[in-house]
Parts: sequence; structure tokens; C-alpha cells
Amino acid sequence: MRSKGKGFLASRKAVTLTLIATAAMALGYSAPAQAAPVVTISFSQWWEPELPTGALQALINTFQTQNPTIKVKLVSGPYSATKSQTIAGAATGTMSDVVGLDGAWVSDLVNQGALANLDNSLARVKFPVAQLAGKIKIHNSTYMIPVVNYIYPLFTNDDLLAKAGVTSAPTNRTQFAAAAKAISGLGGNVKGWVIPLSQTNPNGIQNDIMSLVWASGGSMLKGGKPNLTNNAAVKSVVTYVKSLWDAGSITPGAFTLSEPDKVTEFTNGRAGMMIDSLSHITQIKAADPALHFSIHALPVADGYTGKGGIPYASWGIGIAKTSKYPAQAAKLVAYLMSAAVNTKLSDLGHAFPGNTTSVPTWVTTDPMFKTAFTIYQSGYPANEFTGLPKADDLMLKFDTPFQSYLSGQITVDQLLATAQKSWLADF
Amino acid sequence: MSITAIKAEKMHEPPATEVKSFMKRKHAKRSFEPLLYLSPTIILLLVLMVIPVYLVVQYSFFDNVIITQFPKFVGLRNYLTVLQDPTFQIAIKNTIWFTLGSVVAHLVLGLGFSVLLNSPSLGKFSRSIFRMIYILPWIFTVAIVAILWRMLLDPVGVLNYLLIRLGLIHVGVQWLSSPKTALIAVTVINIWAGYPFYMMSMLAGIQGISKDLYESARVDGASWWQSFFNITLPQLKPIIISMSILDIIWTSQQFAMVWMTTGGGPITSTQMIGIYTYQQAFGRYEFALASTSAVLLLLFSIFLSVIYSRLQRRRD
Amino acid sequence: MRKVQQRARRRQKTLVILALIPGALFAGFPVLWMFSNSFKSNSDIFAYPPKLFSKTFSWSAYSAIFGDSEKVRFFINSYGIAIAVTILTLLVSIPAAYTFSRFEFRFKKTLNGIIISLQGIPPITLMIPYFALIVKLHFYNTYQGLILTYMVFTLPYAIIMLTGYFNTLPRELDEAVKIDGGNAMTALWKVLVPIAIPGIVTVGIYNFMICWNEFLFALTLTKTNEMRTVPVGIQLLMGQHAYKWNEMMAMSALGCLPVLVLFLFFQRYFVGGLTSGSVKA
Repeated sequence: MRSKGKGFLASRKAVTLTLIATAAMALGYSAPAQAAPVVTISFSQWWEPELPTGALQALINTFQTQNPTIKVKLVSGPYSATKSQTIAGAATGTMSDVVGLDGAWVSDLVNQGALANLDNSLARVKFPVAQLAGKIKIHNSTYMIPVVNYIYPLFTNDDLLAKAGVTSAPTNRTQFAAAAKAISGLGGNVKGWVIPLSQTNPNGIQNDIMSLVWASGGSMLKGGKPNLTNNAAVKSVVTYVKSLWDAGSITPGAFTLSEPDKVTEFTNGRAGMMIDSLSHITQIKAADPALHFSIHALPVADGYTGKGGIPYASWGIGIAKTSKYPAQAAKLVAYLMSAAVNTKLSDLGHAFPGNTTSVPTWVTTDPMFKTAFTIYQSGYPANEFTGLPKADDLMLKFDTPFQSYLSGQITVDQLLATAQKSWLADF
Repeated sequence: MSITAIKAEKMHEPPATEVKSFMKRKHAKRSFEPLLYLSPTIILLLVLMVIPVYLVVQYSFFDNVIITQFPKFVGLRNYLTVLQDPTFQIAIKNTIWFTLGSVVAHLVLGLGFSVLLNSPSLGKFSRSIFRMIYILPWIFTVAIVAILWRMLLDPVGVLNYLLIRLGLIHVGVQWLSSPKTALIAVTVINIWAGYPFYMMSMLAGIQGISKDLYESARVDGASWWQSFFNITLPQLKPIIISMSILDIIWTSQQFAMVWMTTGGGPITSTQMIGIYTYQQAFGRYEFALASTSAVLLLLFSIFLSVIYSRLQRRRD
Repeated sequence: MRKVQQRARRRQKTLVILALIPGALFAGFPVLWMFSNSFKSNSDIFAYPPKLFSKTFSWSAYSAIFGDSEKVRFFINSYGIAIAVTILTLLVSIPAAYTFSRFEFRFKKTLNGIIISLQGIPPITLMIPYFALIVKLHFYNTYQGLILTYMVFTLPYAIIMLTGYFNTLPRELDEAVKIDGGNAMTALWKVLVPIAIPGIVTVGIYNFMICWNEFLFALTLTKTNEMRTVPVGIQLLMGQHAYKWNEMMAMSALGCLPVLVLFLFFQRYFVGGLTSGSVKA
């Protein structure tokens, strides 16, 4: 039913290897010389606003120069708007020809018959699929390819940490709780940790809560089915978060904060620590160049020494089944996945490439990203929500009782039993 | 539904006289003229209102609409599912509180402010200044209302700061993110955004009341309160009733403001029918269940609309 | 004696003003706060204790918006759509209201009843079938789609209000035109419309406000940023990765200014129009 980016795992090795990738570069596109009519395809994604201004358009311009018969219209918006647009588009057959995808949407879009089988599309343009780091498969067919991948490390505001007397970034839960408490003790509305639990976009459950489970080698599933009850890994994380909540170490208002709020709190020095996507580094630096912050591996359960899961998110790509120009759409996908372009995209967004032969330069040029790469190498990529049916709804169904639990209205066992029951209904 | 109600009312009308029916027949010959003037309205409303309503009602009787090509007819099963869903029941309860709170406050504030603004002792200048200030909330679009109030009600925002300075509270209240206060907070936001329209209508209504009534009351030695209860209120009654009904209809379907401030949370404290419908459609892709919940809201609104149109007719 | 009366009147005035102040704070403070924050730097907005006036007064948030052609486009779209809907709604609703006011015809009551009850249809009900319908009509992500949609929401109210307004105008006016050999439309546009201006302005402003403020359909029936309106644009700013509060406040301020100006300009008409409209409708 789902793949958890098994191939993506391989990309880590591949990145470390310096491969000669030039041969693959030319493969994604061929220049048709004949005077074929110009067609316009649309490409919806939330990437353009997150990349440096004009960067994605520049890549597209190159594509258009190489393919004079194809015009690409970028349909850009923030993540949440792109999401509802894609769902609405799937329902009405108005999806863009090429769509930016999040792993959490794929299962439902495929069930609606909205996505084209990429195995066929890529075969059509003779793309060397072996280079792909990951494929999201449903019923053995590929529907999404991760273009670039972002890991979610721990961000710390080092000025606040120093002020609170915390000399090194926390590595386990006890240290993390102590650091969060010390930072919250600084007063002046500063808190140790910010978590976004808003129900408008409940992905905090994935990025900020379940990520702690994965970091200590835990899992919320068993044999592809929900496994929330009798699961020590999950239980220990939720009780741990509750202890920080009760200690007053978490930013108030968490129940209505969403991801942008989280970043805003951190950037403005009101939260000492957060778990966030590497893709936000550019924006944080732009918003406050004077902010001293660093990134670290997620804190693990005390005494845990095994390998940990690194939460990640992908900028995935797919093709609409309703597209009138599947061949041209496939060319665009192949172009974005080609080693050279994929390297450029990874560099622009500080991401890990989706093409195993791409070697991003940022890994070596920026010390912060060097750390990111070390974090990345020390564990394995994990995002158990990718490919699950109604993934967003699962997060919401966990979020609601989780809020009840944090408010002290229900016990931890009631929380897990409630979530388990409603998750099973969605599977 | 509304049509049958209106027909039923027609039967209670006194029998038309001979002359009247003769006139009607004469007009019927020329009835193409009114139809001509009405045709753009009829076509627009038919295509963009009646057909969608028909579709949404149809969706509510099928399974997996929109996402599958051949949905199955399931009869009333969706209605049973939705009505038995505990979240929907909470949504109804919250919607009722939210609506009642908003409508009562709108009327009290609308009436109170309009009476004050209409006070004869107020100078022309101060009247227009105050009227301008009082109308301000009305000019904001819902997206702005949501953002503005999120900022004001931030746990370390300006409202909490002022309350702490005044000594009314000790720690900042998490207005929108505490299950205890969230419903009250969104209701207050809705009251803020919605009262000016009622105030303006009341103001217009008060200005329409004949000055003679007040004059003769004054001659009879009536106090201000007496003339308020014996003249102003009875004269405004038709406006009050129709505005309340319209307000109930508008408020019970509120979606955007709540979605952008709390998203229905924390927990389920601001879950409402509008949010429930949206989540079913765009969170769970259950377009049939979303249609069902929308139809239930529609039935409620039509019920109120029928009452409203009957009252309208009585006033004519 | 007169002095006593004068003093009493002055005391009453002070009392009324004192009673009006809390309400004015409730109504006006959020607005004041919005304007004040639109001139602050982003970090000053987070300053604690919060300050109404910050030392770092700057227009930078406004220039950021005016310098961004995409955001300027939101305003152009909002204006264009709102003005188009206002005019079209009036063009359609004036003859319709006139017909309801002056003609006797079959199904008049039924039609009138339907139009009144259409007001009660919650827009969210229509959202789901609307996608399909607008797409089928090839109006998805177009101005026409939004304009037609908004007309459906503005028409019922406009017809009801205007019918009420026309009912207050004496029938002798149009009879006189007919005696002079004019037809119903001449009577309407040449005689009735000019004297019905206050009512028409009221309905027009109301229509404009509905379009200017609409959010749900503007979000769902458009796709590309060049078709977005101001409310959706503000929400898009909110969905970016970190909030630029000052820009959001500046855009909000700019978003309400036109309505404010419109209102100031037509204030007299507006109250007058509502008087006859809502009392008689």
C-alpha cells in the first residue's frame, strides 16, 4: 500500500559518493526542433514563496528555453492554500498539469483517481528511474516523486540558551525539559518550547510530536495499522509533553498556533526551541539576521543509543490524470529530477536531493548545513504519515484528544484509546 | 418547502372579488412584460442557486460523491451518520450558543447605540463623529477581523496587558486557545463585527418614527423610559423581528472567521456546523457527509426564511 | 429658569457622551491598534509592554505592499469585481423590483416568496456543487465566475430592498408618464430611478460591501494569484512561513480605507435609504 521512502534512504549514501552525473543531465529533456504548436502547462506548488525570490521562475525559464514548444505557468501559494486547491482541483478535474505534492495527500488523491501513474510518464521521456531516491507508491504504481527532502531538526536560540545558563544543546529528554524550564524562567514572555497544535492545519502532530517518537526509534504503526494503545514509545512521548506543559515550559496559546506562528515565535525571540523544517532557515535569517541560532538532532529518550528516525517532509511532484499534455508534463518532471537541476533546487532550498546522483554544494559550504548533514547521516528518514489515507484527518483526530489530555480533561490512556479508535475507522 | 408554505397561506386569503379577478385576467395577457423584466433575475437564480441546491440535496443521498464516478444511492444513511456523530452534536450545541449570544448582543448593542446616537441632546458634530466610530467594525472583511483579533487576544497581547495593568487579572488569559474561553472569544469577535449593521437599521427605524408620538407622550408627562417602552420599542418591533431572523440565518452559518481564529478548537470548543461541513469536505473528502450537514443547515434556514417571509407579507 | 434648562441640557449631553465612550472604545480600539501596528517594525509589534506609538514609525510596510505588483493586483481585482457586481446587480434588480412593485401577474407572490427565502440559503451549502458548476461553465478562475456568484448573493436582498423602496413612491408618477405616451421602462428609468437614488445608493453600497468582503468563494473559485482578491490575499500573507504582522496590518488598513471613504461620502444617503427601505420592505 505505501512506501516509506525506502529509496530515499539510499540517497544519503549516494550524496556522500561523488558521482559523475553529467550523463544523466541531458536525459530529462530533448529539444524538439519541429515547429510543433506551443502548449502551456500549469505547475502548482508552494515552493516558489519558500525559495529565494525569482529562483524557481529562473529554473522554469531555462526549461522553456530548452523546450520552446512548452510554456509553464507557475501557480504558487502558501502550503495550506496549495493543499486545499489541490483537493478542490482533484474533485472538479481542475488540478494543474503538474502538481506539487505532500506525501500526506497522495493516498487520497489516488483514491479519487486524480493522479497519473508516473512509472508510465517517466518511461515515456526515458528518465533513468534508477536515479530516483524515492518513490511514493500506491498499489505498486508510483504517484509521487520526492523532488527534494527536508529534515526537521531541533532549532535552538543560542542567546536565550546562554542567558538561561544552558551551555550545550539538549540531547535527551531530561536535558531538553531542563533547558525548556530554564528558558521559561527568564520571564518576559519567553518560553522554552513552542509547539503548534492548531486544528486548522494539524501537522504539528506530525512534525513536533510524533517526530519525538520516531527520533527514539519508536513507531505509531504496526504492520501498517495504527498502534497507539499499548505502545510505550508513543505513551512516553505524550506524557513527556504533558510534563513540560504542566511545568509551564511551552508557549501559551499552543492550541491555536500553526506552523507560521511557531516560526514567528522563534524568530522574534519568544521561544527558545522548536522542531522545524530546514527549509525555513533562509526565512529565519532574512527575518532577523542578528538571531543566533543553531540546529541539532532531536532529543531522544534518556539512555537511548540506537539509531533514530529523522522526521522529514518532501516537496513531491505528480502529474494530474486530467492533464491534456501528459507528455509535456512528464518532461517538466524529468527536468526537475535531472541531476543538475535537482542539485540547484537542493542548493536553493537547503534540501536533500531527490536524485541520487545530485551532489548539493551547500552541504560543504555552510557550517550549519554541515551539521544538518551529520544529523541526517546519524539516523534514518522517518515520516509515518506519508502515504496514509486521510493523513491530515489522522493528525486532527490525534490533535483533538491530545488537547483534552493536555488540558487535564482525560487521561493518557483515554487519549490513546480515543485516537486509536478513530484512526482505525479511517484505515 | 417555502413554496408550499406560501401556497398554504394563499388559501387563507379572503376570496378575490369579481373585479379583481377580471383585472388579473386582463393583466395576464400582458404578463410577458413582467416576465421580461424578471427574466435576468430568474435565469441567474435558477442556474446558480436552484441547480446547486438541487445538486447538494442529491449528493446528500449518495455515497462517496465527487471522488467516485458512480456514487451509490444510500437513502437516509448519511443523515443518520451525521446526526449520530458526536462531533456534529457538539457543533450544533456550539452553533446555538454562538448564534444566541451574537444575536442577543447585536440587538441590545444595536438598539442601545442607536438610541444614544439619536439622542436630541447630542450635537450634530459629535453625532457624526460617534456614528463614524461606531460603524467602523462593519468595514472590515472577515480575514482582517480574524487577524486583528488574533493579535489583540494573543496571550501576551495588548488586551491581556491592559487587563493586567488594570488589576483585573494576574496572568494573561489564552482567550482563543483555552477551551474555557474560546467560544466566548469568537462570539465577542462576531458581536464586534456584526452589530453595526443592526445599529444602522435601528437608527434608520428610529428616525422613521413620527416625532408627534414623542411630543404627545411628553405632553402627557411620560418619562424617557416610558416613551422608550411605549413608543420606540413597539414601533421598531417589525425591524427587530426581521433583523433577528436574518441574523440567526447569517450567524448560524458562520465559517471563515471561526476557521481563521480557532479552526474549531481548542478540543471541540468552537466546533460549529460551518466548520464541520468544511472539515468533512476538505479534511476527510467526505463530500456526501458535508452535503448532508449543509442540507441540514439549509433546512433550518429555510424554516426561518418562511417565518421571515410571512412576517414580511404581514407588514405589507 | 432658562439657565436651569440649559444646564440640564448640557448635563444630559455630557451623560450621553459618557455613555457613548465605552462603546466607542470597543468599536474603535481594534481599528486604532491595526493602524498603529501597520507603522511599526515587525519586532516592535512583539514588544512587551505593547506600545500604541512606537519610535520606529515607518511606512515600510505600506511601501512593501505597493512595491509588490502581486499585492497591488489583489486590490485591483477587488475593486473591479465589486464595482462590476454593484452595477450589474442594480441593472438587474431595479427592473425586477419595479415589476414586483407595479405589476400584477401570475405567480407574483410565489416568485417573491422564493426570492425572499433564497436569502436564507447558507453560502457554504452551495460551495460543494459550485465547484462543479462553475468549472462546467468554464468560469473557474475567472472574473466572470466570481461576478456571477456574487450577483446571486446580492440580488435577493437588492430586489427586496428596492421593491420596498419603490412601494413608497406614489404610483401617480409613473401613471403620468404613461399618459404622456411613455412605457413602463421610461417611467422607471426617467422618473422613478432619479428620485429613488437614496435607496439605490444604499443597496449599491451594501452590494459593494458584500463583494469586497467575501472570502469563501473568492478562495475556492480562483486558483492563480492574479485572480485573488484582497481578503484572500491577506489570508495568503498569513499562510506564509512567518508572519509579517506589519504588512498584514498595512494591507488590512488599505483594505478598509476604500469602504471607509465610500461610507463617509454616502453617509447621508445611506441612512436615508435604510430608513425607507428597512421600515417598509
